[in-house]
Amino acid sequence: MWSGNLKTAIGSLRQRRWRTIFTMLGIVIGISSVVTVVSLGYGLKHQIVGQINQLGSNVLTVRPGKVINNQGGISSLNLYSFLAPSTLTSNDVNSVRHLGPVGSVAPIEFVTNVASGDNGELDNVFVAGTSSNLFDLLHQNINYGTPFSEDDTDQNFAVIGSDIAAKLFGVLNPVGSTVHIDGQDFIVHGVLAPSSGGLLSIAQADYNTSVFIPTAAADSLTSNHANVLQMLVRIRPQADINQAAARIRSTIAHNHGGTVDFSVLKQDELLGVTDQVLSKITNFISALAAISLLVGGIGIMNIMLVSVSERTREIGIRKAIGATNRQILNQFLVEGLALSIGGGIIGIGISYLINLMLRLYSSWHPVISIPILILAAGVSVGTGIIFSIAPALQAARKNPIDALRGE
Amino acid sequence: MALIELDEVSKLYGFGDATTLALDEVSLSVAKGEFVAVMGPSGSGKTTLMNIIGLLDRPSHGSYILGGKQVAHQPAAQQARLRRDQIGFVFQFYNLLPRLNVLDNVALPLTYKGMTPVRRAKRASDILELVGMRDREYFMPYQLSGGQAQRAAIARALINKPSIIIADEPTGNLDSRDSRVVMELLAEVHRQGNTILLVTHNPELTRYASRVLYMYDGTIVGDEQTAIGQMARHARRIFFRKPRTTDSDIAAGVSAMMRDMPGKALAPKAKRGRPPKAKKPARSRKAYRTKR
Repeated sequence: MWSGNLKTAIGSLRQRRWRTIFTMLGIVIGISSVVTVVSLGYGLKHQIVGQINQLGSNVLTVRPGKVINNQGGISSLNLYSFLAPSTLTSNDVNSVRHLGPVGSVAPIEFVTNVASGDNGELDNVFVAGTSSNLFDLLHQNINYGTPFSEDDTDQNFAVIGSDIAAKLFGVLNPVGSTVHIDGQDFIVHGVLAPSSGGLLSIAQADYNTSVFIPTAAADSLTSNHANVLQMLVRIRPQADINQAAARIRSTIAHNHGGTVDFSVLKQDELLGVTDQVLSKITNFISALAAISLLVGGIGIMNIMLVSVSERTREIGIRKAIGATNRQILNQFLVEGLALSIGGGIIGIGISYLINLMLRLYSSWHPVISIPILILAAGVSVGTGIIFSIAPALQAARKNPIDALRGE
Repeated sequence: MALIELDEVSKLYGFGDATTLALDEVSLSVAKGEFVAVMGPSGSGKTTLMNIIGLLDRPSHGSYILGGKQVAHQPAAQQARLRRDQIGFVFQFYNLLPRLNVLDNVALPLTYKGMTPVRRAKRASDILELVGMRDREYFMPYQLSGGQAQRAAIARALINKPSIIIADEPTGNLDSRDSRVVMELLAEVHRQGNTILLVTHNPELTRYASRVLYMYDGTIVGDEQTAIGQMARHARRIFFRKPRTTDSDIAAGVSAMMRDMPGKALAPKAKRGRPPKAKKPARSRKAYRTKR
């Protein structure tokens, strides 16, 4: 019965080839955009989680703003904290550095996004001031040269990402060349190993497109108004991480006159925050993409309604020779499903293509996982059923004699 | 016992003062093996009667017993099953599905029975052999002549070994040669013991029937047993007489008009210069057909 219906459905869809293609297109676009968005979010999460795990469990992250709301025992993400200018200062960095349980501190102070070299100027560079132990904290290897040492802090040295090296100097190893940042010259001291788009928990900025300069230089460039985006703190092995977190919190609060306008996050909290941010963003964009799916579904419904009224006579004949309402319903349901599932399969194919393109030509690393595929399959089946049930019911409920008469 | 038992079956269309009485308390009993020809002018209720017997339509009043079971008010699914297993339809315009080839068209009722593709193809092939269409199995309907299409349609009607064949003007769209082939085929089916109900306008075709019904305004006005091969007596009269409008018909028409639209009944008088000719084409072929 079902195979017969499928044969009939495919026959009738092939009959109206262009109409079928354009109807499917709606579903193809919907499914491929949802799959792509979800896989991008998933890939991004994968990268960031990997990076956070790489930090190790004895690293605390201090961030400006109160990232997590704790109301009534339920912790939720405070998105406003990402909008405000940083509340952390280099003074906070210095006071944390001298605390007992703290092993090492690496701040990330955003300086500018413009840097120039032998090959001209780039405006998508993440120029940040940091201390030399950042690379150690992040487990980030240096391919050429060495990181600047603590003794070099008063000198203008820079460690640059591999993409920057290629773009500004056109060579793999530009150690000794000069980078110009905000009118000052920095000598390239090291080049970071290419990383698989490790993000500094801040969208778009990855090691490959970063330039790191000593904090002293950053402070002088920004006349001590550097934006401290975050501070990584490694705790001494013997120290208790919760006590250390409490001490860091009270120290910075003391600096801020008692206001806790920052967050001290442990690794698991950081994971939670990242997860929440990405889920929110992904859900939001997926909802936008789902609108195209809705439009595609309405397209299916539209075409099925046209098809039903065009085939009134066929329905009449089928009923006259003994088709039950149920069998007519099934016939049209299968036709709608064939449209949406066909569209879904093509959509998944296209999202694999987009995935490949993104991996080849951008720094994104989308991951199409099994749950995404199951979701896509479920959505296309669901769309098919939801949007063809009304036309199919209309077909099934037609009065046989009226249907036989009607053209 | 009779195969078909209609008892005071009425069918009303529309409502309010637009109600049409398509069938007016028709009682009819058809025994197994009869070949019944139904004649009558357009709008006399022939097709409505066939639709009710064929379970495509429900009577407004009255009872319908098919093969000993009351079927008039059965649920739709059960009626569909009865149509599939008990009744074969042959239509004036063949009603083959244009996208299916002859074999698939003939096998379609078996599909709804849930038979496997191989078995139904074999069955359909056998039936097509019977109607002399074996060599056209894989033709599409548009590649067939009218006579061939109608033979395929008869094969489809026969495939479930129905107890009644309902043929609504099966030769209405065919030339005389094809008509003859199709009627001989129906006669052969009748000889095998099938019950056939044939709606026709052509009195010649009553030669094939064993019984002729005459309908007029929703009632059966004549019921005549005839010998096969002989044209029915009344049919012969209809054959040679053209229908004529009598004075009383005109009077009835005028009084009906005055009742329905008192203001307009006298309107043609005001425009005497123009004969009310424009009204005639309004009764187009299509409107005419749908009314039947």
